[in-house]
Amino acid sequence: MTALHPPAAIRAARLMDGNLAAAWGARLARAEVLPMYPITPAYPAMEHLTGFVERGELKARFIRVESDHSAMAACVGAALTGARTFTVTSSQGLAYMSEVLHQASGLRLPIVMAVVNRALHAPHSRWPDHGDAISQESSGWLQFFCETVQEVLDTTIQAFRIAQDERVQLPVMVNYEGYILSHAREPVHVPDQAEVDAFLPLIRRRHLDVDNPLAINAASNTEVYWGYKYNQHRAMGAAREVIREVDADFRRRFGREWGGLAEAYRTEGARTLVVTMGSMAASARVAVDRLRDAGRPAGLLKVRAFRPFPADELVAAAAGADLVVVIDRNIVYGAGGAVAREVKGALWGAGLRPRIAGWIAGLGGQDVGVEGIERMVRASEAKDADALREPLWYGLDEGGEGQ
Amino acid sequence: MSVPLEPVEPWLTGGHLACPGCGAALAIRLAGHALGRRSIVAVPASCAGTIGANSLHTAWQIPFFHTLFESAPAVAAGIRAGLEAQGIEDVHVVSWAGDAGTGDIGLQALSAAAERNDDILHVCYDNELAMNTGGQADGATPLASRSSVTPGGKLTPKKDLPAILAAHGVPYVATASVAYPEDFLAKLRKASLIRGFRYIHVLAPCHVGWDIPPEQSIRVTRMATTSGLWPLYEIENGVKRQTVIPEPKVPVREYVRAQGRFRTLDEAQVEALQRWVDSRDA
Repeated sequence: MTALHPPAAIRAARLMDGNLAAAWGARLARAEVLPMYPITPAYPAMEHLTGFVERGELKARFIRVESDHSAMAACVGAALTGARTFTVTSSQGLAYMSEVLHQASGLRLPIVMAVVNRALHAPHSRWPDHGDAISQESSGWLQFFCETVQEVLDTTIQAFRIAQDERVQLPVMVNYEGYILSHAREPVHVPDQAEVDAFLPLIRRRHLDVDNPLAINAASNTEVYWGYKYNQHRAMGAAREVIREVDADFRRRFGREWGGLAEAYRTEGARTLVVTMGSMAASARVAVDRLRDAGRPAGLLKVRAFRPFPADELVAAAAGADLVVVIDRNIVYGAGGAVAREVKGALWGAGLRPRIAGWIAGLGGQDVGVEGIERMVRASEAKDADALREPLWYGLDEGGEGQ
Repeated sequence: MSVPLEPVEPWLTGGHLACPGCGAALAIRLAGHALGRRSIVAVPASCAGTIGANSLHTAWQIPFFHTLFESAPAVAAGIRAGLEAQGIEDVHVVSWAGDAGTGDIGLQALSAAAERNDDILHVCYDNELAMNTGGQADGATPLASRSSVTPGGKLTPKKDLPAILAAHGVPYVATASVAYPEDFLAKLRKASLIRGFRYIHVLAPCHVGWDIPPEQSIRVTRMATTSGLWPLYEIENGVKRQTVIPEPKVPVREYVRAQGRFRTLDEAQVEALQRWVDSRDA
């Protein structure tokens, strides 16, 4: 549950955009190595961090790499020495990193990366959607999607603790949408450094150490390889409990929590369940309120962790629903939205059979808003089973304007 | 100076998977003499990346990391930063790549590390072909050399990587050859005492790719230098100095005719190559 800030707290907050919040998260986490390469709209996060370093507010080594590929490669090198490592990227930069992302997760390195979500080419677009992160869904990274600027800061701090947890030891992406969150300012509470230090002790694992030489990433035989992959998958599963624990501990210390893997909003008795990720969840809350006010028992499940996927949370939220409306800000061509696909799999596995409407909305910055979500919910109610087999497109299938 | 038969602190022990007569393994073995065991090495996709470790066994005696093909210098930069962040000093951080991992797919990260003057040593062991994948031509393959993708001989000349690196204005650039171990070791030692970005490009034959008998590897590699095709020099803070004056010089013909990879070269091309060497020396 997102705590509402009372006016006094607002006065104590600082005005921040998402990029500054991510930079503050890494600063409070005392990141030690920062290999980064600028890409719009992520580069201000890098500039904030270089400023922190320059002014002596953060004791870290910034590496001005020439590309996102080298940024992640340098992250891997630094993390192998046991240093706490952070970087930031977006869109094409994330795609360019792809092979190194797979290596970082296979090496079980606790790297944390802010990803400013921006539509991938082609056509060229500067505007937000989740396609970049979804393209890396099988890279072995945990993926969080943020709704607010405060959540960006808090999740960045949490990410370091989750990544280094003995049960996890996997890299983590903190996703927030370009411009909507990266450049929009909100009042943000900056936790006290000493309290963050207490919440986030440093666990150092030195893999490259001249006093204990190891050969890392040798060519593996088949048995070794699939054994590694099995352990990696197990760790991703174990991360679910760790994410819940870390969020609960965060609430105890800082008074804010983000629902762990997924936040259920007004899902009690919900017959219609909206499922979405990122900033669209903010519009969906208001849409749910309006639907409730109009007498429709609607609820929202905000998917916060896309990887690992919150199947249990979804099943609990959808228990009484006869309609699930999934809104994806991404498209897996020939299949549909990635969240809708997960939702169908999770509900099928739990024996739940609500009607599921999968919507593609907000691609390349398409404006959706509260009314758009309300329209999608109403249109979903009217669709027959045949129409729900294919993804529905906002702007085409909801009726009204944009038809 | 004499080179002991066994390195004082070899980086690789016996049991590695290199072919007999492998120039790459020899270069690694020699590096142990000069740099010692307080070294961390990052090696991209290459023979050097695979000969020293396999599954749960390794012949590496120092920390070794097998990087992605483009990444060795960037990984090394990250390793250096990670060590510095922890106050760990007196460790040599080395990115050690073949010709493709250095000058083709690896050139972008290498150029950036050089421009940043990162405190790392990059060693390019150059067998003038992409041998780990079976002998395809790459940017370091000489003009007219046959390969699995240039059966009639390569149509363009060898990329001058030491010159490209020197153009970055880094503190130290050197060429070397496994056939001149004293010179190679002296350059490694000198590089190990310099802070900032250092680059050593060592000619390391692959008898398979060069199409020569394995026992001829060193003899033929020496001729690369005595013929003038692979001069040995160093560039220290912009000042270039030839470190080996080969005596006696041999004709280019003797070098190329000793190898199967140049068998498509006709006499006119050999003479043209000789004229090019002579004009460069003039």
